[in-house]
Amino acid sequence: MKTPHIDLKELEKQKKENFIERLEFIDRYAEWVKKKKNKEWSRQQKKIVNMRV
Amino acid sequence: MEIKVSKEGMEFEKELNELDLLVLDFTKVLEEIGIRYVVVSGYVPILFGRSRSSEDIDVIVKRMDKSEFHKLWEKLKEFECIITEDMNDAYENYLMEGHSIRFSRKNEFIPNIEIKFPKTELDIWTLQERIRVVLNRKVLYISPIELQIPYKLFLGSEKDIEDARYLYNIFKEYIDTELFREFLKKLKKEEDYERYLR
Repeated sequence: MKTPHIDLKELEKQKKENFIERLEFIDRYAEWVKKKKNKEWSRQQKKIVNMRV
Repeated sequence: MEIKVSKEGMEFEKELNELDLLVLDFTKVLEEIGIRYVVVSGYVPILFGRSRSSEDIDVIVKRMDKSEFHKLWEKLKEFECIITEDMNDAYENYLMEGHSIRFSRKNEFIPNIEIKFPKTELDIWTLQERIRVVLNRKVLYISPIELQIPYKLFLGSEKDIEDARYLYNIFKEYIDTELFREFLKKLKKEEDYERYLR
């Protein structure tokens, strides 16, 4: 099977960019949690936690 | 988020997820028999809304003698130790040797509660200075946020840095800046603070 050429530098760059994007998402998510009523954010969080548990 | 933060601790209500219920059920047993404990690490951001799960919850418990541990073992009827079935083995070959043991709900493997005796001065301090949280009128104790954030930076994985960033975003208006700065300095994480949290 022919496998693709892997540019490690390119992948490292992509990994770094993904991490920065996730940190930006966390900022948005935390701001959303702070603005919302507990009932609302915890209802949505419960779905994620219980699904993974 | 509606949360009361005071010198006595924190108080808030939420819709409880499976991890919250596991922690509350387990810590209730510790409370009932007077075992001082503190919940640390990954569950702390989850308690306050971080959108991720965890397979284990880290708890530091005060150093117990064998009879106290025996009492705890007997009281944990809804749980089972997934490391060993033997109480003496758990105490002598794990806890007393500085290793942790894990308890899950009966017939389940994950999520589980990982307990250990304090090993370092930092563990002892965390146990002493634990923060009281009243969650849906039930009490649990967690590590001070001023330590938790720098410690997450110290652990340093992407997940840990994300946890630190989340907690900082939620609590930046409430944290004791002096204490926070001191832990950043002691853990040599001032640069990471500038890099990831500012």
